Amino acid sequence: MIFKQHLKVMVVDDHRTSRMVICDALAELGINQITYACDGEDALKTMMATPCHMIISDFNMPKLDGLQLQKAIRTYGPTQRTPFIILSGRGDRELVQKAASLGVNNFLVKPITPPVLKSSIEAVIGRLQ
Amino acid sequence: MQAPRRVHVMQGEARVDGGDAVLTTLLGSCVAACIRDAGAGIGGMNHFLLPGDEAHATGRAESYGLFLMELLVNGLLKRGARRHALEAKLFGGANTVDNLGDIGSRNAAFARRFLAMEGIACLGGDLGGGRGRRVEYWPATGRSRRIFIDGRVTLDAPASAMPASTGDLELF
Repeated sequence: MIFKQHLKVMVVDDHRTSRMVICDALAELGINQITYACDGEDALKTMMATPCHMIISDFNMPKLDGLQLQKAIRTYGPTQRTPFIILSGRGDRELVQKAASLGVNNFLVKPITPPVLKSSIEAVIGRLQ
Repeated sequence: MQAPRRVHVMQGEARVDGGDAVLTTLLGSCVAACIRDAGAGIGGMNHFLLPGDEAHATGRAESYGLFLMELLVNGLLKRGARRHALEAKLFGGANTVDNLGDIGSRNAAFARRFLAMEGIACLGGDLGGGRGRRVEYWPATGRSRRIFIDGRVTLDAPASAMPASTGDLELF
């Protein structure tokens, strides 16, 4: 059982509008401890300063994309077991397979809604309370 | 003189091009965002059906403005455009059919909101009204032209040009 008020989530997306949509959905689920990063590089820096329990990241981003970020997270000791959910506009089989081989915990296709996000998070870390 | 290369942007698509291309699309309540980096000489157009930043958005991502705006902006950045230099024009968002409600207005409001949130300058365009439009956009120069479905034609020059009007042709 996960107490959602203690759950710290980092949202990574290069578009402010998309970050807001994801954060609104998280807030609707009662998750309010949210940090933001605007691309993969920013996410790595933010994680060092503010560790989190879970990362929800867009795939398509400049500098370091979602898969590259995931790879970096998985190769760094303190973060290698951090749950990672990747978001994409397309349910591309190749992308899903690649993400899975790199150890992604879940894959979500946009547009996301609070119920879909909730079941995706619960599938990774257990029931939210 | 060589004719421009015409590239039609279908509903649910985002295209990035430059050089001699002219991007075209046909809009009713849908919205097309035309975004470019003047310095890099490239630009693009998308064509979306619904906003997609609302909590009840379901279905294919390709229908939604939020996804197609991201796709267009990221496509431009990958081709060398600079985020701070992006400029946009917005077209469409007409409320053409009574029983579709205010989808056109919602699409237009989303597009404006997206540009404001992302800090992309909106140089103009043509949103709203009750008529469909055919839009042509020259990404290399930023010139655009829209032809209303009922036959009225208006023409946009690049943003730096001075306003002018010539009968049915409106230049600004």
